[in-house]
Amino acid sequence: MSHQFPSEAWAAAYQKAVNENPQYRSAGKDWTHGKVAFVVKADPSLDLPNDMAILLDVNAGECHGAAYMTGDAARTGAAFAVEGPYDHWKQLILEGLDPIKALMQGRLRLTKGHLPTMIRYVESSKQLLASAQNVPTAFRR
Amino acid sequence: MGTLDYASRIELDTAAENNGLAQMVAGLILQNLQENPSKRDDFARLRGKVAIVAEDAEVAMTLHFEGNMLTVYDGIEGIPDVTVRARGEDIVQMSLLPLTRLGLPDLRADVGREILQKSQSGQVRVYGALLHVPLLLRFTRLLSVN
Repeated sequence: MSHQFPSEAWAAAYQKAVNENPQYRSAGKDWTHGKVAFVVKADPSLDLPNDMAILLDVNAGECHGAAYMTGDAARTGAAFAVEGPYDHWKQLILEGLDPIKALMQGRLRLTKGHLPTMIRYVESSKQLLASAQNVPTAFRR
Repeated sequence: MGTLDYASRIELDTAAENNGLAQMVAGLILQNLQENPSKRDDFARLRGKVAIVAEDAEVAMTLHFEGNMLTVYDGIEGIPDVTVRARGEDIVQMSLLPLTRLGLPDLRADVGREILQKSQSGQVRVYGALLHVPLLLRFTRLLSVN
């Protein structure tokens, strides 16, 4: 069964996918730097009138929770926030676009968080996003 | 050396504002300067142009260092003294290069060895390095998150 992206059901399936990714467990085992938010920019044409986000409670290679909430709430609760428009997230999930490449191309932006820390855990970030490819996803367009 | 307002000393050219690579590298340099006093002397002494090309991402940027001042440009600006061409993830890896106690890149460490191998295989190419060794060393130290 596919889950609409983004949504509460998608967030729950994503948490499961992260925890079932052994490469994330290994790459993220030393991550103790706080929650990470993936923010989808508002797009009224997709029934997203406000920025919406998945807030991941990740620690030591495990995802302890994935909550769907407004972008503002996620930014407040997260130590790191990565933001981008819907179509770029879709491309990342669908095609496995390398998140580093996406950041360098300006498709996604790190809007909150300590960049040197993010860079030290680049493999962890890649595996976190790669896990999204294993979520059965229905896109809004 | 006292602490300068480094945020005001790193300028992103208007055209570079949508260049993610430029944003990342400028942000990394700023955070390194704010948090690591040992990098400030290198920033004060750096003069010259360093271009970085992330080939797989098809993004390029130029850093123009003028001694405690840095302007970041989109694309290749002017004639760079040093040009680094590599995949995006290799550029990120270069910023993870550990430094020895003497402040030189540690090529015996895992990351150092990998970069050296990629350099030998042509996956990472640095043009102008031999003519601008001090510039490249200072830039490497400034960029390193270690």
